[in-house]
Amino acid sequence: MSSLSGDHLLGIKQITEADINLIFDTATSFKKVINRPIKKVPSLRDTTIANLFFENSTRTKLSFELAEKRLSADIINFSSSSSSVSKGETLVDTVKNILAMKVDMVVMRHPNPGAAVFLAKNIKAKIINAGDGAHEHPTQALLDAYTIRENCGDIAGKKVLILGDILHSRVAISNILCLKKLGAEVMVCGPATLIPRYIESMGVKVELDLLTALNWCDVVNTLRIQLERQSIKYFPSIREYVMQYGVNKEILDGLDKEITLLHPGPINRGVEITGDVADSKQAVILDQVENGVAIRMAVLYLLAQEI
Amino acid sequence: MSQEILIKSAKIIDQNSKFHNKKMDVLLKDGIIKKIDKNIKATSKQIVYDQKNLHLSPGWFDMKVNFRDPGFEHKEDLKSGNNAAATGGFTGVACMPSTCPPVHTKSQVEYIKNKSASMIVNVYPVGTISYNHEGKEISEMFDMHNSGAIAFSDDKKPIKDSGLMIRALQYVQGFGGLIMSHPNDTSISHNGMMNESNTSTMLGLVGIPEIAEEIMVERDLALTAYTNGKLHFSTISTAKSVALIRAAKKKGLKITAEISANNLVLDDTSVESFDSNFKLEPPLRNKKDIKALIKGVKDGTIDTICSDHCPEDVEEKDRDFQDATPGIIGLETCFSLILSALGEDVSIDEIVKIMSTNPREILGLPLPTINVNERVELTLFDPKLKWTYNKVYSKSKNTPFLEQELMGRAIAIFNGDQVADCN
Repeated sequence: MSSLSGDHLLGIKQITEADINLIFDTATSFKKVINRPIKKVPSLRDTTIANLFFENSTRTKLSFELAEKRLSADIINFSSSSSSVSKGETLVDTVKNILAMKVDMVVMRHPNPGAAVFLAKNIKAKIINAGDGAHEHPTQALLDAYTIRENCGDIAGKKVLILGDILHSRVAISNILCLKKLGAEVMVCGPATLIPRYIESMGVKVELDLLTALNWCDVVNTLRIQLERQSIKYFPSIREYVMQYGVNKEILDGLDKEITLLHPGPINRGVEITGDVADSKQAVILDQVENGVAIRMAVLYLLAQEI
Repeated sequence: MSQEILIKSAKIIDQNSKFHNKKMDVLLKDGIIKKIDKNIKATSKQIVYDQKNLHLSPGWFDMKVNFRDPGFEHKEDLKSGNNAAATGGFTGVACMPSTCPPVHTKSQVEYIKNKSASMIVNVYPVGTISYNHEGKEISEMFDMHNSGAIAFSDDKKPIKDSGLMIRALQYVQGFGGLIMSHPNDTSISHNGMMNESNTSTMLGLVGIPEIAEEIMVERDLALTAYTNGKLHFSTISTAKSVALIRAAKKKGLKITAEISANNLVLDDTSVESFDSNFKLEPPLRNKKDIKALIKGVKDGTIDTICSDHCPEDVEEKDRDFQDATPGIIGLETCFSLILSALGEDVSIDEIVKIMSTNPREILGLPLPTINVNERVELTLFDPKLKWTYNKVYSKSKNTPFLEQELMGRAIAIFNGDQVADCN
């Protein structure tokens, strides 16, 4: 049985191209499963998974939960805002308490970069990072790349634009790492205040003009504006953001090619993209959601091989 | 009557001594250097230090330590801090005012002076610049000065208000006080966790741009010139800060500068492990900055190197990087770190000057010298001694150097009629 090279999925940084392809192949099998009338397999029977969400999440949590249920795992859920945790029990204590209940795997989202790495050093369980601050969100990057491959073919040589709030985005970091590992060219675009100063060190191009960027790319991944992460204002108003970086039908129709459009959700309709674009056939947003379950099943399944 | 102490065949490192660079026997009694000679016969009543590669210098001085007493005695108190300083080879330290309450009136100054009076390491309290550490109004610096405050600093809380900095620089001129600046424009470094760099981008940690420090160095240089004042820069960390200070010194501004030993030996790639022992303030910078700091030490732009000893308990440090409190302890490893960073570029004479003479000159303290009939304030050390850092004298254990093999160590310190072995 093939398995992943590491014990955990902490980030794309720690996995290899072979790991990514193994996850994709496994996801393809699981995608068939979840499209069958009986969508459940017994693969993770007797495996207990804790979903620890120290930060708000709707779709990632649902997606993991569904993936776990489809694999017949036993699951427990814990949600807490970061402030109540930081005031009292420390992260390690919270998790140790939960592990004392004999948990095999932990899926964790946390507002602080490095929280998953910290946890992996401190407890004995398989850790899957479901997003740690602005650091990584590996399953999102995997499902995005998988969706691009499914819709556009081989990723190598594809030109992918990541648009929006790069500074506060774990999706951007994980996507860049994943796409580069698979041989894509990557460009980031957004207001200069939301582009990290040293982002080019990750081997990406930077473009501040939306139209130039869209003309360059085959695929655009429009990130959500993370207003909740912005403790200070990085642009004066949503209105002005939309004027410069909002993707609408008119702009897309003006391009001399049809590009594929991704969005990790939840969409602020009329902000990053207009409603008609979100609902158009160019947008593969709902494919991403479906593939998300298959990718998460694959990751859980592959990591559980060594329990 | 205290016991006689005989140091055998130690190389004297003291540019103010006629025995400088000579191997001599030194006899101490009642806190006085009684005799220095080629060969002094040992008697059975003496404590004798006789091992290879002994060096003897004026006692070392650390310009920036935190002893957390009063307020946070579970992290460090004056006694444990004193033990850590003694183990590191220091006979004097300047102690930052970040206590609870902060050292902002003479009561706290006197508490520290009185409580540490009989301890082997001299503790010189630094008072706050602003009342209650708030950065608003100047504190009673004259009264604190008279009670023994050696200098004034708001520690790691930079003085944001330029007007307050002007008033502080002017006010202390009446009594010859010294203002210390911790340059960091927090409107730029806002929420920053580490040096802004390729590494911070990859780790998703909010970066602290170098310019946050440099812009305040530029401001404070301008304010020092404007007030014709005197200013000491604490723990600068970037290449440009060094260049700015070098140029200002050339112009004749009355400024001095210090760096932390941590910033000499570690760079920001250490943070890749997300180990909170690499979360520091100022943050660890890049290799180019380290090179510039070393150059600054060599050409005299940097006057001294401190340990920036910041004891924090396990609850503050054993956390994920973002939630952990910045800072590490450093008194016990400071000399080894300085040697490992500078050993090949800077002579031991210069290192002793940086660790002993310069800080005292900045603070206006008398310089101990190794001549007969001088008062004893000495550090005995072996710059080649290999040792493993496995016993920590500080109450806190927040250091990335635990269990590491280091080179160069103090053997003993002598201050007045007190003696402490450093192991």
